[in-house]
Amino acid sequence: MPEIEDRLTALAGAIAWPDTPRLSLAVGRPIAVEPRRAFFVPRWAMAAAAVLVIVASLLAYAPTRTAIADWVNLHIGLSHTTALPTPSPLPSGTLGSNLGLGTRTTLAGAQSQVTWHIVVPGQLGSPDAVYLLLPPDGASGGEVSLVYATSPGIPVSTETGVALLVTEARGSVNEQFFQKTLNDATTIEPVTVNGHQGWWISGQPHNFVFIDAAGNPRFETLRLATNTLVIDDGGTIVRIEGHMTRAQALQIAGTLA
Amino acid sequence: MEGRPTDEAELVARAQRGDQGAFEEIVQRYQQVAFRVAYVITGSAAEAEDAAQEGMFKAYRALHTFRTGAEPRPWLLRIVANEARNRARSAGRRQHLQLQLAEDFRPGDAAPSPEAAALAADEQRRLLALVNALDDDDRLVVTSRYLLQLSVEETSAALGIPEGTVKSRLSRALERLRQKVEEAQRA
Repeated sequence: MPEIEDRLTALAGAIAWPDTPRLSLAVGRPIAVEPRRAFFVPRWAMAAAAVLVIVASLLAYAPTRTAIADWVNLHIGLSHTTALPTPSPLPSGTLGSNLGLGTRTTLAGAQSQVTWHIVVPGQLGSPDAVYLLLPPDGASGGEVSLVYATSPGIPVSTETGVALLVTEARGSVNEQFFQKTLNDATTIEPVTVNGHQGWWISGQPHNFVFIDAAGNPRFETLRLATNTLVIDDGGTIVRIEGHMTRAQALQIAGTLA
Repeated sequence: MEGRPTDEAELVARAQRGDQGAFEEIVQRYQQVAFRVAYVITGSAAEAEDAAQEGMFKAYRALHTFRTGAEPRPWLLRIVANEARNRARSAGRRQHLQLQLAEDFRPGDAAPSPEAAALAADEQRRLLALVNALDDDDRLVVTSRYLLQLSVEETSAALGIPEGTVKSRLSRALERLRQKVEEAQRA
């Protein structure tokens, strides 16, 4: 009879363990590695900063500014200017170039690089810009983004200069897994678009996770961080992001072809 | 047992610099052992999944505390096991885990005939029943060290006890198990 230790070791390979779940960092909260060392601000620097803030506040107020000028015997004229409001500037550069969508291309150029059929919302017509993100930065099989500068009834984001963003990649959505990525300020509602399963995500979603064509989870940042409609269009995961209502999103998605 | 590739240190270093993909790779490598450790502690697959998932999350956020050059596996197991223990404690009960033999288990080449194989399988089944019947402390240390094949360091991390305690507790647990085996054979 072998020793008890040997028998236990042999037993290790015979245990019926439950199936191991796929673990991931995709849980509903922002994650960040904490810094190695807390940023230390010396007391003298804090005191100096406080003095600067006080002085700056006093200088910003015209009567005290004049008094200070008199006190330091500064015999120069301090003229008052009124700052004119300027319109919110749109981001500079090519449309969508600041969103990390990959390389700019054309619809035909993108189609030649991916194996699936890129769907375009007929209601919106041809996109104003097309981007292609290939692995390893993009999902397995590539990721195509269609950027629309304007869309009737949908406001343009002042931060991105984009009205609507349609992103496509091959993969699948695990609803339970995906729900975990959403924060409390976000609601999710299952929808159906042309017989395809979809999810209307309203509020302030920031992250999206799906399983790409190679079976790997992809953690993506929603570029516009606003209402988003996700559709599983026969294995192509289509995301439509924009400041749109649910009805507008469903109407646009209904014209995908 | 999952492998420990030599690029592990590089993966950890990348993760510490904020590379989430690198940490995902570490998670994929150790998710099985982490989940099983949590399963042994909580006695529930659902609780174990939650504990392992939450533990991985906490590990990611605590990467700054990881000591450069250390083995990430015991460190990860410690965090996941802590999470599992907290969950088991807050649930107010610890489900007494009854491990089972895999249905398709065959003793393999060591058995010279089908009859001998059946006999060996039966012996394994009875041995597992005796392990299941050990008290919690004994069962956890035996299961961790032999059935999960953790090192002494990893067992210490998983059970939250010093390595010296692992060795002494294991020694006593094996002695008690040996006695039970002998009693069962005489019966």
